[in-house]
Amino acid sequence: MVGRIEFEGVPAAGGIGIGKAHILEEKQNEVSPEKIHQDDVQLNVEKCNRAFEALKEEFVKLRDDAKGEVADIIDAQIESLKDPELYKTILHKIESERYEAEYAIFSTLNEYIHIMENADAEWLNERTIDLIAIRDQLIDVARNKKQVEDLEPGSVVFATNVSPTSMIELSRNSIAGLVMQKGGLTSHAVILAQSLDIPCVIGVEWKAKRFKNKEEVIVDGDLGSVVVRPSEDERNVYVERKKKQKKKAEKILQIAKQPSETACGKKFKLQANVEFLEELPKVKTHGADGVGLLRTETILFQKTGFDVNAQLDFYRKVVEASGQSDVTIRLFDAGGDKLLDDMDTESNPFLGWRGIRMLLDESELLGNQLEAIYRLSGEYKGRIKLLAPMVSCIREIHKLKERIADIKDKLAAEGIEFDQNLPIGVMIEVPSAALMADRVAKEVDFFSIGTNDLTQYTLAVDRGNEKISTLYQPYHPAVWKLIKMTLDGAKKSNIPVTVCGEMASKPKAAACLFGMGIENLSMTTGALPKVKSLLCSQNMNDMKSYSDQVMNANSPDEVLTLMNKFGE
Amino acid sequence: MVKKTVTVKNEAGLHARPSSVLVKTASKFESDFYISMYGYKVNGKSILGVMTLAAESGAEMELIFEGEDEQEALTAISELFENKFEKN
Repeated sequence: MVGRIEFEGVPAAGGIGIGKAHILEEKQNEVSPEKIHQDDVQLNVEKCNRAFEALKEEFVKLRDDAKGEVADIIDAQIESLKDPELYKTILHKIESERYEAEYAIFSTLNEYIHIMENADAEWLNERTIDLIAIRDQLIDVARNKKQVEDLEPGSVVFATNVSPTSMIELSRNSIAGLVMQKGGLTSHAVILAQSLDIPCVIGVEWKAKRFKNKEEVIVDGDLGSVVVRPSEDERNVYVERKKKQKKKAEKILQIAKQPSETACGKKFKLQANVEFLEELPKVKTHGADGVGLLRTETILFQKTGFDVNAQLDFYRKVVEASGQSDVTIRLFDAGGDKLLDDMDTESNPFLGWRGIRMLLDESELLGNQLEAIYRLSGEYKGRIKLLAPMVSCIREIHKLKERIADIKDKLAAEGIEFDQNLPIGVMIEVPSAALMADRVAKEVDFFSIGTNDLTQYTLAVDRGNEKISTLYQPYHPAVWKLIKMTLDGAKKSNIPVTVCGEMASKPKAAACLFGMGIENLSMTTGALPKVKSLLCSQNMNDMKSYSDQVMNANSPDEVLTLMNKFGE
Repeated sequence: MVKKTVTVKNEAGLHARPSSVLVKTASKFESDFYISMYGYKVNGKSILGVMTLAAESGAEMELIFEGEDEQEALTAISELFENKFEKN
């Protein structure tokens, strides 16, 4: 046994992980020039197409969370996968030269890699690594090979980089921690590590030192250090800290079990925002009263997602994990920046073909999703709600209702049970919908306010644009005013209002929303305990006068001051 | 067929981001699009082709379009070069 090794990196996902090292094997790229039979040409073309499609999907997903330079790089990766010359050459190698898909991909990309490696321009040399990544991932997908193999639960995984799909695989093996050489703070792997509570440190040059599989490792995801072969004292310190964190987590569980009511006994309802199946266990442990926002984009990005039965499977799992509470399913909320090949042509995707606008045009997509939701409602009567995103005019609601009527007729004709009175709600995230809330309220059964988009559309500030990031002020009085308008509009028709945006997950903002009269908040599971403990400790009158003050504030700064003062 | 000679004006040259803006725009048009530079000719809708030109700031290249919407394509792509590939 050799001495202790310590690495410094960038803390990416909090918590302490202690376990045995598991070095994720670099992929083997031995690809030999196998020739194929004429009859297998079609098969290999299809294999090649599948690999391209799957990888494109993965990059499109990654693109969502990317900003600035990272987004540019991912864009270039997506364009590379769409490159007509690249594809033509690969196809030629399969069809005319009769090479196996793997080799056709391998050799064609190598030609480009060779040119880039030997180019005079330094920036072009640097792009080589992206192309190598594309090459290796395409071959892996074509071979149906998984990146993760033979992993013992409780391991600390060392990797160069981890793709989102591998990350989900890793989490299924309940790993104790993740150490990556690459990966950015906004990479999908890191975001997943955070939401799955896997301590993660990135930017670690772990290959510079020698250690083996199964050696003991400590990952400190709070401070960004990684220790291989820790001393006993050191180990004890970490075990202590881990215990403390565990206690804190237990406190969270206790809070979760408390009834949801204020100090003065007024009840409230906190629900979970859910996107991945992996998040479901937290719905119960963190005390969510059902799912207030089920995002459905992820499943629909998978090829089978368009299939009614595949969707049903996904929805059932979510409903089963929600105890006896209700689940609000939001229709596919993708936009020009997210989906379908011909869609990056929009110059202004956030003001473009997205949400309900896109769904009403994509007849089959919408039909399948509505059918899946209505079938589900027959299995779990009274527990399913439907939510339409990006509604900006009443006409869209009418059109959606026509489609729903068609689906109901179809199911009735087939003798399939469904919930006749399934509540239909709309997201209030476009100012026009908030301004017209009293009219819109007459058409639907509930509102759900999406504060992130509402803020961005109200203030005309793109959240992703770093140059104007200081102008993105979710606590701007204008946003509060629109929330109030929405609430007043809803009251006239006596329909409930939920807030499912980021605002609901900030305890003091949540207290203000509650003070205004919004009794139902939905948020990421991680935020539930802190929001709940603040609401439980306050009484209604204080929250009311606090929200009145906020409503009268003249500037975002004034709002922030009020928020800071509240409850202190 | 329409042709036009343009100059790369952005400081960093035709690197990854400008290249992806270029091919994205080019792909919106039906017309075939080729870029000719130092005797090389690449498909302007192929990002790998465009990047491997490694065109630096100040480099001159000829844009060649052929197809029904060649004029529109030429206008759109020339504008990109003029605006240094900045998104508006």
